[in-house]
Amino acid sequence: MRSAAGVLIGLFVILFGANLVSFTVTEVQQVVVTQFGEKIRVITEPGLYFKYPDPIQKTTYFDKWLLEYDAEPEQVFTRDKKMLVLDNYARWRIIDPYLFMQSLQTVDRALKRLRDIVKSELLKELGRHELSEVVALNRESIMELVTARCDSTARTFGIEILDVRVKRADLPPENEAAVFERMRAEREREAKGYRSEGEERALEIRADTDLEAAQIKAAAYEESQRIRGEGDAEALRIYAAAYTGAEEFYEFSRTLEAYEQALDENTVLVQPMDTDFFKYLQGK
Amino acid sequence: MPQQFEFPKTQIPSLKLNPKTVYGVLGVLAGLWILSGIYTVAADEEAVVLRFGKLTLPIVGPGLSYHWPGPIERVYIRSVTNVYREEIGFRTTSPGRSAQRPHESLMLTGDENIIDVQMVVQYRVDDLVKALFNVKTLGVFQESTEGLVHDASEAALRQVVGRHGIDETLTEGKETVQAEIKDKLQELLNRYDAGLIIDEVKLQRVRPPAQVEAAFKDVASAKEDRERLENEAHGYQNDLIPKARGGAKKMLRGADAYKIERITRARGDADRFRAVYKEYQKAPDVTETRIYVETMEKILPGMQKYIIKSDATGGGGLINLLNLNQPQRPQATGTDQE
Repeated sequence: MRSAAGVLIGLFVILFGANLVSFTVTEVQQVVVTQFGEKIRVITEPGLYFKYPDPIQKTTYFDKWLLEYDAEPEQVFTRDKKMLVLDNYARWRIIDPYLFMQSLQTVDRALKRLRDIVKSELLKELGRHELSEVVALNRESIMELVTARCDSTARTFGIEILDVRVKRADLPPENEAAVFERMRAEREREAKGYRSEGEERALEIRADTDLEAAQIKAAAYEESQRIRGEGDAEALRIYAAAYTGAEEFYEFSRTLEAYEQALDENTVLVQPMDTDFFKYLQGK
Repeated sequence: MPQQFEFPKTQIPSLKLNPKTVYGVLGVLAGLWILSGIYTVAADEEAVVLRFGKLTLPIVGPGLSYHWPGPIERVYIRSVTNVYREEIGFRTTSPGRSAQRPHESLMLTGDENIIDVQMVVQYRVDDLVKALFNVKTLGVFQESTEGLVHDASEAALRQVVGRHGIDETLTEGKETVQAEIKDKLQELLNRYDAGLIIDEVKLQRVRPPAQVEAAFKDVASAKEDRERLENEAHGYQNDLIPKARGGAKKMLRGADAYKIERITRARGDADRFRAVYKEYQKAPDVTETRIYVETMEKILPGMQKYIIKSDATGGGGLINLLNLNQPQRPQATGTDQE
């Protein structure tokens, strides 16, 4: 009975004592061990460690993994006096836990300090650039620069700033309205351009068509007149060939033929009696 | 500390513990404790074991495994094939329904226009150890929509859209923009050593903001109007030119017909003339008289005739008396009889 109680007590003592003098550090933690406030060791490697019990040696845990800093949106002015609403974030980690412990103590205080550092660097740097640079081409290089400057300041607190990045860079609402107005005007101009282009092309096509049609008709007229001329000329030649050598008879017969065509009931003929046809009216 | 030892000392004797019971209970407890270290890893999962907080390698694959229980070792089992999804500019609230997030989806383009973009990012765990222990606010295992991936996605999206003009992003440049965002996002995640791999970046909705959408639509319809006007003009062309060509052909055929008719008739006339002339030559005088008389016979009946004495022609007195402007048949008959 005595030994059973003893075993229980023994177990209890071992567990309690072990808990008192040992501690674990996980992969995402780092620890500063102090003895009466004085730094004994800084542990950044995970594992099982031992120390003197609490009032003598104390452990302070810090995050080792990458931490977040998400700022409230800030209004900043660019060099061309335009206002941008900037929402940025940063990713940082504690690289010197003891320095961090001395200067900032807690992550909350660190975030406040980070806000000051990042904000002032951003304002300073963005004031040197025009809006279009911030929005477009230069954002990457601007951010690299701001990150580097923030990082070098933050290192005095035992912090590494890995990345400062602009999540959003938008115009304030009152400027947005102006942009919308401009966009609308641009599109209206574009639409008008397309419609006028359509008119232009249509007129051109119609005019070309009219021209082509006129050309086709005129060319046809030219050709048909030539053909008719050939016909006329050939006919003339045939007639001339037939009548040459018989001029008198031709004149006689053709004239008589013409009489048949030319003279009708409206013709008034006044003839003396001694013409060939009427000569017999005078009597023999 | 001595006081803490006092406390159990006074309690235990009164309990009257049977040693066998105590050892039995302890043994059972110890057995259960030992057994609690058994765990299974599913086919799509991997497990990471920390011994006193320190990573033990290798990473455990699918199957039945054992780790030291309790405070000694801890195991993290996570899916490595699951595709996680991050939404920018909207949130899916329930299947088929989503809430808009205009402050996320509206952004400046490179030409200082504003565009409305919604994006979905799909990613997987590439390196479980990194994903578990390198970044505190990763977002993947926390079931949270805010976190590193979301932040980095927004940053990459805006940065890339800020490099391109609005028309490019709206139309043919969309694929390029998507690819650039993917590269940029992967680059950021690598910088944070997050152990994640981007599967796909998809621009869900890319459109002009609602405030100016009508103007953009009108541009599209203006383009259609341009096509329409041009097509109508082509219609006019297709109508007119064939007709003109037809007309031209008709005119040419007409001319051909005229030519043939002219020549053929001339030949006919000539042949007739030659035939008549040939006969005429055989008896010119008689033929001439016959033709003359026959012709007169044909034409004279239709005419008004005034036959006067030969000597009257000289003075012309009679002609002066005639009303030549208004020849009338009764008068003519009258004078005829004279």
